[in-house]
Amino acid sequence: MNTTTSNKRLIAYVDSGQSSSGEMNAVDATDRAATHQEVEAPSLLTIILDTNPHAWALLADTLPLSKAVANLLVFINAHLSINYANRVAVLASHSERAEWLYPTPAPHLPNNNGDNSTVQPPDDANKYRPFAQLEYALLTNLQTLLRTTTPASISSSPSTLLAGALTRALTYISKQSLSTGPSQTGNTSFNYSDPSSVAGGNSLNPSDNVVTSRSSQRLTTRILILSVSGDLSGSYIELMNTIFACQRLSIPLDILKLSGSATFLQQAADTTGGIYLSLTTPVQRAGLLQYLMFAFLPDPAARENLVMPGETEGVDFRAACFCHKRVVDVGFVCSICLSIFCEPLGDGTCLLCGSHLSMGNYGRKPVVVARVKKAKTGTGKKRKVGDGVETPGSGGGGTPVPPG
Amino acid sequence: MAATPPQSWEYLETLQGVELHRLYRTSPPSALAIYRKLLSGLAKHYVTSLLFSPTPMPVNHFELVTRVDANAEKVKAFNQLKKYNIVRETTFQGKRCISIVPDFARSYRRVLDGRGEGNPFGQVSSPPQSATEPTIEKLDAHSQRQWDGILGYMVGGNVIQDLQEPGEELPAPAEAVVELLRVGHLVTVGGTQSRGRYAMGITAEGFAFVLQNINTQIWRLLFLYVEAAEQLNMDKIDVLSFIFFIASLELGLAYSTEDLTETQLQVLTTLSDLGVVYLPDNTTDYFYPTRLASTLTSDSSDTLSSTANKLSSSLHTSSAQHKKSIAHPGNPTGSGFIILETNYRLYAYTTSPLQIALLSLFISLRSRHNNLVTGKLTKASVQQAINTGITAEQIISYLSSHAHPVMRRHAAAEEAILQSRAVMAAAANSGGTTDIENNTGVTQIRVPVVPSTVVDQIHLWQLERDRIQTTPGYFIKEFQSEAEYRACSRYAEEIGVRRWYDDRKRMFFVDQIEGVAAYMKDRKERASGTT
Repeated sequence: MNTTTSNKRLIAYVDSGQSSSGEMNAVDATDRAATHQEVEAPSLLTIILDTNPHAWALLADTLPLSKAVANLLVFINAHLSINYANRVAVLASHSERAEWLYPTPAPHLPNNNGDNSTVQPPDDANKYRPFAQLEYALLTNLQTLLRTTTPASISSSPSTLLAGALTRALTYISKQSLSTGPSQTGNTSFNYSDPSSVAGGNSLNPSDNVVTSRSSQRLTTRILILSVSGDLSGSYIELMNTIFACQRLSIPLDILKLSGSATFLQQAADTTGGIYLSLTTPVQRAGLLQYLMFAFLPDPAARENLVMPGETEGVDFRAACFCHKRVVDVGFVCSICLSIFCEPLGDGTCLLCGSHLSMGNYGRKPVVVARVKKAKTGTGKKRKVGDGVETPGSGGGGTPVPPG
Repeated sequence: MAATPPQSWEYLETLQGVELHRLYRTSPPSALAIYRKLLSGLAKHYVTSLLFSPTPMPVNHFELVTRVDANAEKVKAFNQLKKYNIVRETTFQGKRCISIVPDFARSYRRVLDGRGEGNPFGQVSSPPQSATEPTIEKLDAHSQRQWDGILGYMVGGNVIQDLQEPGEELPAPAEAVVELLRVGHLVTVGGTQSRGRYAMGITAEGFAFVLQNINTQIWRLLFLYVEAAEQLNMDKIDVLSFIFFIASLELGLAYSTEDLTETQLQVLTTLSDLGVVYLPDNTTDYFYPTRLASTLTSDSSDTLSSTANKLSSSLHTSSAQHKKSIAHPGNPTGSGFIILETNYRLYAYTTSPLQIALLSLFISLRSRHNNLVTGKLTKASVQQAINTGITAEQIISYLSSHAHPVMRRHAAAEEAILQSRAVMAAAANSGGTTDIENNTGVTQIRVPVVPSTVVDQIHLWQLERDRIQTTPGYFIKEFQSEAEYRACSRYAEEIGVRRWYDDRKRMFFVDQIEGVAAYMKDRKERASGTT
């Protein structure tokens, strides 16, 4: 053995004369709040379960809804067992409505917290009581939801009301944050009259956002969407608005996609800093629980220490047009309200804000003026002169000619 | 000096691996409690990612999923997990792997999926619907009475008796509890055992104990009890798992005593003495866990402070106090009773003899009014407290956890102002709106509830006395080569355990040996493998 490690525990004496600077540092401002950092902030996880009957019917062979819900329950229990103060809320995004699964909304008292459900589960001494209550409430509500779904409502809408569910989730999160946070003062909410804050929600530098720079004692929140439905372009505007709201409130949107196309939800995860995973094969879906436990269980605080999985490359940033809900690669944007259209407007009036828009010379072939100086062979063909030609997509002004 | 018994949760670290395995195997609530209360965030994540994995995971997998800059956290997490015997290293298909200990995994999985048998979470009994069924308020009152009795006994019965009004005497703690306090070196009981109540004296540790929050206090006593279990012919693992079982029960429900063993019934009596459970007078068929029980395993400061507040609100029984608290509508984050000004004057809205006695430990009290006690923090009073073994941190944490809502609001408002200033740091000169008395915290957003001048002064008063700081740990020396010393020393610094070092003499001092020892062993093996 090269090194001797003393077997006994020793006591080191540090004479304060030698390290007096360290001792003095302990008295200045840096030390006062040190004890508070140890406590983990409680976390509220809001889960939106896509219960679209069409999509689950397609998945019935590999992953029936009942099995997915059972896995989800284990995941929820794991979340609750991480911290005594952790909370959970579950919403169903059904075909024509968004419904609470947990906590059960109180039927006649709208201002009730909903935490104490009136229905008591059967006593089962093998389950941790809070978990048993949650499971009972969630399954009861899910059964009620499925029972009250009429064949007519299923056939009338093939999609799911995700935007509605997200909105309800956001209202719930705001309410919970308000009731648990430290005493509220006026300037903690987003100041819409402050011109320095960007209303579009594109600048999210945490230092300039009052909401994010709150103390660590605050409830940390996140939303997990378990999505099975494909085309969501029908509610594009509503969806993007809720996504930007999440971004503004710094609520990460985690997406677990079991089937269907990804377009907007991948954008959502990317914009809000959440995790996007898509389980496309039956083998992957069979490991749903492990994916949930591994990728989605760590709360934002724990994620700081982890390399998180997820598909961040190749995000599909395409938008849907406001007129026909088509997903477009290149579209036309109203210069007043930034609405997107897939084709030029017939009468030149924006469908949303009513502004009169001039299409200028759209559709006309650009007039190519012969250059005075002759361009070199090979590269000359690629250069275009942009003067006087309005391209609606780029908002006027041609491609600048690189200096010769 | 007598060997100090382990403080609170550190007790679990002294258990043998076999004992921990038995604890996990027999009691899912224990697995849940240890997971929830003792592990760091990263360690929890490692456990959950291993929990449903069919095979052990290779060691390098954890390096892949953990960020490089969180290496210290990772080492800490694995040390924790190994210390509590939750994971172990195995070899699987020729690779070094980490696997979860099956006993723990099985129990924790049972918590999560709710399958299994043996009623690990207690049989709810439906007591006869009579008027005697205790309400939650009554349970709170019960635990508060018991606990105040214990603390009152420690602080000194005579002082309390002078202060308290007739008819409101605190109950004397049970013999068993006094014995626990004595065994834990919290009090010393004199030779006259029969009149022990009057021949007792509080120790330095006892002084520190009475100022801690109620959750820490109760765990301290519970672990002392577990340790003493063998002398009472009980198995300590049985006692421990029963305590965790009690902690998993729901407040306000009656639980059946039908399935309990002889040991468990014995523990139940002691827990009732401590105020953790409530045993109805007329029957032994069922018991009620109190708020102290249901928050035993919570670690969030919110729930803990709400426990303290709910309990301490029942403490102020006088009607004057109630009027006062109505006049100052409570802030949701807490309703203490102490107002401390920057000039060290203190006003405590309390009539509780116990709280007054506690305050008198480190405050020179000046006057007592109907619902108010006034006093002042002085150098003499603080140093006297420090001489008896109370630390500055304990005084400050006591003051801030019992701060009046007015102080909290003040601190919150100041925090908001400073925060908005930090946000608009560029346009700082335009402000000057409010005169802020402490201008130290511009870069630091959090404002302490106790005025920072007072906080600093208490620290300084303590420093006048404490000129030496001790750190228990391990001294590593006699390295063979400079390179080896450098590598080990750097590693120790990276994982944040190195406290002192001397490059010239090639020696350093660490406060935790596990990580460094593993690293050195690893290094040695690699060195011998290559040559």
